[in-house]
Amino acid sequence: MPKMQGRGNQTPPPKAPDKYLWPAKPAVIGTSVKRLDGPDKVAGRAKFSYDISRPGMIYGKILRSPHAHARIVAIDLSTAEKAPGVKAALVWKQPGAEVMFQGDEVAALAADTEEHAWDAMRLIKVDYEVLPHLASVDQAMAADAPAVFTGGNTKSGPVQETGDIDAGFKQAAHIVEATYSTHVVTHVCLETHGCVCEWDGDKLTAWVSTQAAHGTAQGFAQGLQIPQTNVRVITQYMGGGFGSKFGPDTQGLICAKLAQQAKVPVKLMLDRKEEHLATGNRPSAIAHIKAGVTADGKLIAYDAQSWGTGGAGATSNFPLPYIYVFPNRRRTHQDVYINAGQQRAMRAPGHPQGCFLTEILMDELADRVKMDPVEFRIKNLPDRAPNAMWGEYFTRGAKAFGWDKRHATGDSTPGPIKTGFGCAANQWGGGGRGSKAHCDINADGTVVMKCGTQDLGTGTRTIVAMVTAETLGLPVSAVTPEIGDTMYPFSGGSGGSTTAASVTPAIRVTAFKALDALCAKVGPALGVDAATLVASAGRIHVKGTPSKGLAWKDACKLLGTEPISVDGDWMDGLSSTGTSGVQFTEAEVDIETGIVRLKRVLTVQDCGLIVDKLTTESQVYGGIVGSINFALYEDRILDRVTGQMVNPNMEWYLIAGMSDVPQIDIILNNMPERGVIGVGEPPTVSTAAAIANAVRNATGVTIRSLPLTPAKVLDALEQEKAGGTL
Amino acid sequence: MAPKDELPDTPERFTVSRRAFLKTTGISSLAATVVGVADADAQTSGARAVGPGEVPVQLLVNGKRLDLRIEPRVTLLDAIRTRADMTGNKRVCDRGACGACTMIVDGRTVYSCSTLAIEVQGKQIRTIDGLANGATLHPMQQAFCDADGLMCGFCTPGFIMASVALFEKHPTATVDQVKKGLDGNICRCGTFTRILEANMKVRGVARA
Repeated sequence: MPKMQGRGNQTPPPKAPDKYLWPAKPAVIGTSVKRLDGPDKVAGRAKFSYDISRPGMIYGKILRSPHAHARIVAIDLSTAEKAPGVKAALVWKQPGAEVMFQGDEVAALAADTEEHAWDAMRLIKVDYEVLPHLASVDQAMAADAPAVFTGGNTKSGPVQETGDIDAGFKQAAHIVEATYSTHVVTHVCLETHGCVCEWDGDKLTAWVSTQAAHGTAQGFAQGLQIPQTNVRVITQYMGGGFGSKFGPDTQGLICAKLAQQAKVPVKLMLDRKEEHLATGNRPSAIAHIKAGVTADGKLIAYDAQSWGTGGAGATSNFPLPYIYVFPNRRRTHQDVYINAGQQRAMRAPGHPQGCFLTEILMDELADRVKMDPVEFRIKNLPDRAPNAMWGEYFTRGAKAFGWDKRHATGDSTPGPIKTGFGCAANQWGGGGRGSKAHCDINADGTVVMKCGTQDLGTGTRTIVAMVTAETLGLPVSAVTPEIGDTMYPFSGGSGGSTTAASVTPAIRVTAFKALDALCAKVGPALGVDAATLVASAGRIHVKGTPSKGLAWKDACKLLGTEPISVDGDWMDGLSSTGTSGVQFTEAEVDIETGIVRLKRVLTVQDCGLIVDKLTTESQVYGGIVGSINFALYEDRILDRVTGQMVNPNMEWYLIAGMSDVPQIDIILNNMPERGVIGVGEPPTVSTAAAIANAVRNATGVTIRSLPLTPAKVLDALEQEKAGGTL
Repeated sequence: MAPKDELPDTPERFTVSRRAFLKTTGISSLAATVVGVADADAQTSGARAVGPGEVPVQLLVNGKRLDLRIEPRVTLLDAIRTRADMTGNKRVCDRGACGACTMIVDGRTVYSCSTLAIEVQGKQIRTIDGLANGATLHPMQQAFCDADGLMCGFCTPGFIMASVALFEKHPTATVDQVKKGLDGNICRCGTFTRILEANMKVRGVARA
């Protein structure tokens, strides 16, 4: 039996041979290639999971708890089961079990039309014994809080300590001490979570809106207790995940069980309210921070107690302090549990929180030592490294942004509209490994590259084709990329900005193996050593002598009846980890209404080797817009009395529209020598913090809490009049 | 196949009160629950009661007639997506807040998730599915591809329909007008900058 090469294997993967390394003068990589599935998406032809229709398909719905915390006393499906069109029904949580948040799954059914399913849902009778609940962090941490969670409503982590805190604060010329916080936001994937499940005997095919086709197949197999070989997951197109879609989830398992019971395919897509309540969120982050700086502007001491909630029994940790170096520091963190849906990874999990909590403090400290915020940041950065380029980026970005026009804290010009500048830095890991691929080259010259990854909208399908085309010396249009199906070789979930770095090396290696196989046919035909052959500009030819060779189609004709069909694995040396970036913002604040409007955002960002410039830029735009939403608009609001979400929709859960998005300037630092890294997350880390600093610079008021709603801005202005926020 | 002609008059055609039923562009906070037909009828002097069961509904979608039997409460979006398998336009917020379901009805954009199918009988309904001319994309669709005005693509059909309607009405719309015109649509991936670019590429370009 071959040695297993699972992810648990500690043996380092093989190093890519030199000839596999990225070309010094690429023909395709680094150019702007339009996404290949663009035409299908703009024409409405792209079939998302939500759009799948199967013969005889019916519609599943989940009945969820209306209570934040309750015990199920009894469930009666009998009337619902007899309702028109109902084909299947099941109890998900048995009597005696507790529901821990509004939206916790209780029962489910499926009917021939959605309308019939909705009607029948109203006929399911559930008796609840309502139990005490915790709707906020303050309620959960109160001395007299009811004991809702087994093991306590809070859980403290270990103390992290470096250097000598007391000695550090003794060296401080200035100390800032305050409480900072960020709020809970939800992913709001436009395509809600859900799937279509269809059984053929004991084999399940599921069209799932997921960020991890293979991982979801594994999740179905485990959840349904069936062999993974009996599960096929298809995700050709998916409408956004942002970290919340990594498995079948409860709704996937329910859908599969309903389909089994009804013996017909079932579609179960969540509605918008369910999506807000039950499919993840970014935890809140709160910290009481004491920070010291020396008279000459060196950070010296930092002491933070942080806490936050990831909902019912989930963690809430985040990096703190963020990027900047305090030689003496201490930090403790406490998870606080409340009766709300559990958090999930959300685009750069932890970083936007840590960034905001650190960067607003950095501007306060810079003012104490009367230094420019950029100069102050540069003075306190970690040592320069390929993945720690903030110093250069701050300098470069400041120049491009016109930072020299920044006024001191507080816009002193007359009138109600105050303008300010802010900045902040980001870091992220990225990198990835473990993907496999399969390449077919046929005698007619057609090329298919298969990889079981998925395209979240980042452009994965397109870069699969680009890397194949680059390697085979072909135009991108000559390659058919096949992804989004567990019938294709394994690739991991698209999270942590790892997809590009995991997939592109596997594609490169596999395409090279296919090319070697082709060259083995072409060499003898030309009477040359196959090792001297290269592929470029649509030809296989002797290196340095393009005339001595064959056109691609003629080379492929040599294959006769035996096409090339090869597998390849990810190899080391084509990718790495670690990115850095900085952002600058200009904001206008109306101090009469409290409304913040952004004028400009500028970013300097690296991500290693840029594969598709066009879609890389799109990811950066998207990350920045996501962070604008985090800073100014979105907020999951829970009713403190009922524990129910007040705004589980898209009109009161605010998200930026076209008029809210400012001019965005992107400066990408291409670093081909580092290989592919990934860029999905880093740009979304720091815009919110830069906006908060711009608002501070405009108003002269420090708002230590997100989101920067008009009410909060007006409150802070009032507070400043009464005694000061600075 | 249904002829590409005017919707014929049939006994089943009727009108219902906009006050009771209209959940359309910009006035959508009537929310997800649809008032019962009997209630609506009570508010509408002269209109016949329909439902609650299925009734025949004829829609003129992308120039073709669709004959459906649906309950009166079925929205235009659901009728077209689940009964006619034209799934280009998306269901996202399902209450007229995000624009992913935007269709053009008699030249005006509507949130099809908040418009009842029975209400738009006899009107010219255009969806994203019918915008391209065979394999040739509409210039706005092509511009979205060229400018990368999309990522996951779920908001894209609605944005394109809103953009098309905007330029059909205002062929030389300015940047500020386009921004205003598209404020009823939401993109979670954050492609706004490039959607705006796509729109400005099409400004003044002759329609296919």
